[in-house]
Amino acid sequence: MTMGQTILRVENIHKELGGKAILNGVSLSVRKGEIKVLIGPSGAGKSTFLQSINFLVMPDQGRVWLEEKPINPTDKKALYEYRQQVGMIFQDFNLFDHLTALANVEIGLIRVKGMKKNVARGRAMDELERVGLKNQVLQYPAQLSGGQKQRVSIARALAMDPKVMLLDEPTSALDPELIGEVHSVIRDLAIRGMTMLMVTHQIRFARSLASEIVFMENGRILEKGPPEKMLSDAECSRTREFCSKINEMSGHLC
Amino acid sequence: MLRKIVLKRALVENFNWWSDDGNPLALLIFFNRNPVLPVSDLKFEPKQGFTVCGLTQGTSMIPQGLTAIKEGLPYLLEGALVNIAVVLGAMALGFALGLPLAVGHVYGNRKTRSLIGIYILFFRGIPLLVLLFLFYFGLFSLSGINASAFTVAIVVLGLISAAYQSQILRGAILSLPEGQMKAALSIGMSKKKAIFFVILPQALRLSIPGWSNEYSILLKDSAVAYALGVAELMARAHHVASRTYQHLYLYLTAGFIFLLLTYLGTKGLNVLYKKVGIPGYLR
Repeated sequence: MTMGQTILRVENIHKELGGKAILNGVSLSVRKGEIKVLIGPSGAGKSTFLQSINFLVMPDQGRVWLEEKPINPTDKKALYEYRQQVGMIFQDFNLFDHLTALANVEIGLIRVKGMKKNVARGRAMDELERVGLKNQVLQYPAQLSGGQKQRVSIARALAMDPKVMLLDEPTSALDPELIGEVHSVIRDLAIRGMTMLMVTHQIRFARSLASEIVFMENGRILEKGPPEKMLSDAECSRTREFCSKINEMSGHLC
Repeated sequence: MLRKIVLKRALVENFNWWSDDGNPLALLIFFNRNPVLPVSDLKFEPKQGFTVCGLTQGTSMIPQGLTAIKEGLPYLLEGALVNIAVVLGAMALGFALGLPLAVGHVYGNRKTRSLIGIYILFFRGIPLLVLLFLFYFGLFSLSGINASAFTVAIVVLGLISAAYQSQILRGAILSLPEGQMKAALSIGMSKKKAIFFVILPQALRLSIPGWSNEYSILLKDSAVAYALGVAELMARAHHVASRTYQHLYLYLTAGFIFLLLTYLGTKGLNVLYKKVGIPGYLR
């Protein structure tokens, strides 16, 4: 796989919550077009790590670069600018419940990018069409299925033209039947060359998409490598143990 | 448009309750310059002679009571308008103050939060009657501000209501999932924009049931303005009762009018709640 320049680089992220160290110096970099998948047991710090990358959780220590430009989170304007360029997808969608699907996508364009309403509408329609929700644009989140909600949230993030997307277990709150539609949208993103950092335990999906799988435990990265190697014959015994568990669960032995 | 003019004329002619300079704030100033009739100016004269029950020449009590109600009703209804004005003024003032208090209480720094906490403790912790006297006879007269009893009633009830309304709204803000704020920030919104465009539109909707409670409390509290000499419904009921000796009937009527106003107000807020409800979003 051909890789471009480094888009996102994070170094030595530390975070303590309630006296407990959640992240112990996590470093990672993602190059253009790369898809990195984070796996690890619950409590490993995967979500906290993703959220500290765009400073939704303020790390105690550590630095972040976007396209080799250091990010200073105390500079509010720079921070808001940076967050626009880092799309975030949440496990429980977090659509704005009082707005239609269309308005959910428009709001960032209008209120953040300052677009004219009719221009924003066109762009939002395009994004919703791309995730297959042309006919649901005027429905409210409560009227949509989980899979549809997650697709709206992807459209909302894409409308901001992000350079990289962070996906925090995008399908783990979904019924098995709805996972496929979200996976196919993410696959489309990958085909279009979107750079992504994703937490998921859908191991078959990860294997087919990931350029690298990263295993985290206790706030540290234990091991990383190409999916074939990580999932069948990892060097670290703890990684092997975890991977064989999730392989069993997905019904495939490697 | 025409209806607006007619309404305005009606207000000007009947109650003198409208200022002509078009400034909504002028309404308060206007009230102050043209104070609502004080209790001491009430002059209800029954057309028919009433007698203290038991001492009369054989007429039964009930017809006398009904006649007293009939004669006193227009008079009482005028008083009810005063109550409505007090409630609307206090609700509006309470909202205007309560909204920033709520936002500050949730998102402010420690100093802001503790200052707001003190405000709320003060206005929730002191009886209404004490506050009314404190402001009317104390603060306002000492500071040389010439405020009518009516204005003071609105201001004091509004300040108290701000404390309660801020807590209604704060509860609503806190009941929203944390992810709403995170999602708003994640697309690059500032915290201010997130509060304004994402948090408040949802929290305000959730606050409506709490407001209907607040409305009914304010309405009943507005009767305490009587203590400052505002000729509101209760004051008038007492006035008419003492001239007709039909206390039972007049207070029943006053109570019924309060009940009706509470019912209509809460019903109205309920309709509003359903109207602004988010489709498919059941709470």
